[in-house]
Amino acid sequence: MQRLPAAVLLLMGLLVLPQGCVQQTQPAELFQLTPESSANRAMQTRFFDTENDQELLSASAAALQDLGFQVEESVREVGLLRAAKERSAREYGQYRNRFFIWLLSLGHVVIPIDLHQKIAASLVTRPLNEAHSRQEVRIVFYRAVWKGDGQADRNYIPPGEQKMEMIRDPEIYQQFFAKLSKAVFLEPHSI
Amino acid sequence: MNWTQLVGAVVVMMGSVILQGCVAPEPRQELFAPTDAQMKIRSAQTRTFEVKEQTVAMRGVIAALQDLGFIIERANEPLGLVTAARFAEPNYYDVLGVTVTVRPQQDGKTMIRANAIYNSKPIEDPKVYQNFFAAVERSLFLVKD
Repeated sequence: MQRLPAAVLLLMGLLVLPQGCVQQTQPAELFQLTPESSANRAMQTRFFDTENDQELLSASAAALQDLGFQVEESVREVGLLRAAKERSAREYGQYRNRFFIWLLSLGHVVIPIDLHQKIAASLVTRPLNEAHSRQEVRIVFYRAVWKGDGQADRNYIPPGEQKMEMIRDPEIYQQFFAKLSKAVFLEPHSI
Repeated sequence: MNWTQLVGAVVVMMGSVILQGCVAPEPRQELFAPTDAQMKIRSAQTRTFEVKEQTVAMRGVIAALQDLGFIIERANEPLGLVTAARFAEPNYYDVLGVTVTVRPQQDGKTMIRANAIYNSKPIEDPKVYQNFFAAVERSLFLVKD
């Protein structure tokens, strides 16, 4: 550690700082609706005019299969499906950033990059009226990413560090509902 | 390191080991005995709703959890069981889990009980459960309309 260049220290500090600044949320706040709740709901939900909830659920499973998911859990009575798929998480941009940071730090810092990811989905269908003539499908996507190894000066960073996040990209949800509406031959209605 | 230093080090290590042995053991918690605090938490975790069917109540609970941003992980209809989790956003390191049981009562009402954990530690703050049941009430009310 005796001849650690100031630039490396600064760089490591910059990498650590944003992580330290993440706010702690109180559990009570996490059980409250936020301004984003309704936007998320609109993105994750579509309505279908059908009485056949079983058909809707099996079409949902088919749509998830089309997207490469494996169904992990299903409960027909409450209309629940849970599915997941594992894929590579390697991105060109991360390799480029790693190279430049390695270059700037004169070979002292090798930042870990994303290697592997598990994308998961949880889907629930629900009748919206007494007659069960209108059904709601709500799906949520999230992912876990595993990082590779890295190095900070002489300290080796072991691989396997995990990062998790909710997927909030509207395009992913639109893609799923487009597949689903084709599978049930029905027009989806958004909120 | 010479012999006196080595002997000194050994003595210090032995001393620290012995000292630890002398610390009086903490009074053992009665892990299986009910306490007043537990009774209080149980009443905060439980609420009865004017809903006849268990499935309707379960679907209401699931919709409420989804609105709150939870991921539904497991459900068991015959047992009225729902398990869900969410990240303590904006940070993704802490995880909030909740298990809900929905049980029909004799008088045509339904009892809902929730147990929430924050990073595998039980949450005892009644405010958390108040907020949760407010969300359930809202979602059950919306279904009725």
